Amino acid sequence: MAGSRAGAGNRPGLAGQSLPHQTKMTAAMTLPTAVPYSAGRVRGAGALPVGQGADERIRDQVMSEGQNGIKLRARDLYFYYGKEVALKNISLDIATHMVTAFIGPSGCGKSTLLRTFNRMYELYADQKATGEVYLDDRNILLPGEDLYRLRARVGMVFQKPTPFPISVYENVAFGVRLYERLRKSDMDDRVEAALRQAALWDEVSGKLSQNALSLSGGQQQRLCIARAVAVKPEVLLLDEPASALDPISTFKIEELIYELKQKYTIAIVTHNMQQAARVSDYTAFMYLGELVEFGDTNTIFTNPRKQQTEDYITGRYG
Amino acid sequence: MAGPVSEDEMNNRSYYRLLLIGITALIPLSLFAVFVFLGTYSWPAIRFNGLHFLIGKTWSLGNLYANPITLHGAVVPRGARYGVLVFVAGTVLSSLIALAIAVPVSLGVAVFLSEGAPPRLRPALSFIVELLAGVPSVVYGLWGFAVLIPFVAATLGPGLKHLFGWIPFFRGPVGGGYGLLSASLVLALMVVPIIAATVRDALSKVPLEIKEAAYGLGASRFEVVSRVMLPMARASVIGASILGLGRALGETMAVLMVSGGALNYLPGNIYGPVSTMASFIASQLDSALQDPTGMAVRSLAEIALLLFGITVLVNILARLLIGRKGATARA
Repeated sequence: MAGSRAGAGNRPGLAGQSLPHQTKMTAAMTLPTAVPYSAGRVRGAGALPVGQGADERIRDQVMSEGQNGIKLRARDLYFYYGKEVALKNISLDIATHMVTAFIGPSGCGKSTLLRTFNRMYELYADQKATGEVYLDDRNILLPGEDLYRLRARVGMVFQKPTPFPISVYENVAFGVRLYERLRKSDMDDRVEAALRQAALWDEVSGKLSQNALSLSGGQQQRLCIARAVAVKPEVLLLDEPASALDPISTFKIEELIYELKQKYTIAIVTHNMQQAARVSDYTAFMYLGELVEFGDTNTIFTNPRKQQTEDYITGRYG
Repeated sequence: MAGPVSEDEMNNRSYYRLLLIGITALIPLSLFAVFVFLGTYSWPAIRFNGLHFLIGKTWSLGNLYANPITLHGAVVPRGARYGVLVFVAGTVLSSLIALAIAVPVSLGVAVFLSEGAPPRLRPALSFIVELLAGVPSVVYGLWGFAVLIPFVAATLGPGLKHLFGWIPFFRGPVGGGYGLLSASLVLALMVVPIIAATVRDALSKVPLEIKEAAYGLGASRFEVVSRVMLPMARASVIGASILGLGRALGETMAVLMVSGGALNYLPGNIYGPVSTMASFIASQLDSALQDPTGMAVRSLAEIALLLFGITVLVNILARLLIGRKGATARA
């Protein structure tokens, strides 16, 4: 954990703002977006004045830190509910195989931001987003984007557990069946693997054919995570996944998040600041639709640059 | 709140309780009363007809002008026979065919009303559908008589015969339009609003989170409706279908106007004339009253009893079905 955070090179920065320790480096602002496989290919993805030398340097850094790059990047993102602006000029990067937490008071737009990453807002005619959101190097806000494929790549878990009123097994198989025709034995394996990843297998292996609604709230939420990972997404969006759960279930979910980031890039919205501090690598503080501060979780919680952030995390408002 | 309750209030409560019990008891009591009345009124016919009532294809009032004879200990007109198989067959066939047409159509309408229609139009459209459920059946009957019959005779009948003639039940002759097909279509039309309104209600109660969760897995709108919403509304779909079946089984007027009024004749194909139990009771009551022995009227009452029994049975069956499915869908 600590090691992977050490290099500033892959740390997502808030475009247009500088984090204290990054100012020491030249071109620190542009580094986050300049991961090798996308540099030069992404147009309009923020300023990328990266020379060849820098390119190599970054490649070295990225290689030394494993696969870490930027999975999702938002640029000049605005969001509207009808005429009301809910997100104002959001630009930020979400690092691959990292947990990025979004905190802020109710109505600050953190869930809205999450819902732009899989374009869930498309279900509602009066909601729209402008700007750019890149998943790897594809702008997923473009009209031609295949929403079904997008949502298979970017899974989502909601605040309230949302199991379908069918068996545990069928819940996990649900998403898989939408895309793949698997033999029974393959599907069994897939379901088991997903339930294991969601740390639920031991509890439900004997009752796969039971109705999912007979599980406890915490189990239901982990089932929803299993259902999401069964589709083999690349990104997991967690919208306050533990806020409806008891402390023990919450603890399990948090442990799970730590495990899951080995395989997935995770963006989590939470009201619970301790939770953000515990589970995330990066934290974004949002207020009234704007991104106030974004950076490495330790910094945000121990040494925030902005007074507003400090006031919020110390509980002075929110 | 938790203080002691005065005696007055206690008395009020027990009166209130009694009143409620009384009112509530009215419903099962009246059901029971209908059953008892039909049973006692038709008892002579039940004894006289025996099992022949159910398996006999001939309904004949006998010679009303000759002296009645005594047969099996009952005084009846000479040659009287009361077999209702034709009407039972007509009722069951027309209702089931109507349901087979109405259920898929209703599901389509319900899905459209809750998901497909432009959000602004949904309330108005739903209201119209509910309005259709309240239109008097004689209106449907008249429409069937004026519009549907010619259409069935000239277009639909020959068309079906052409397409499905290889199935014995769809083979000709097509006839003049009066018959099982027209009766089923009119019944289906009457039943669709009932089922559609109920299912639309159930679909609109599927929580938004559940829908979003399904969309979030990459499901298309069709997949969300067919794999999540309709299964969740399954109990309602079954319940509404049975409600519709109940209405179809008991429908009198509209069927009478389009069914062709078959007597002593089992339909050989889907175009053939039929009579249903309810419409037969209505249409034959006048003739039956001419029977000086009264056996004809009592036999009509026996038909009513049978219809009553079938309806109750169907509803109990539905209750059991919903109970089983509902138990897994709730929790």
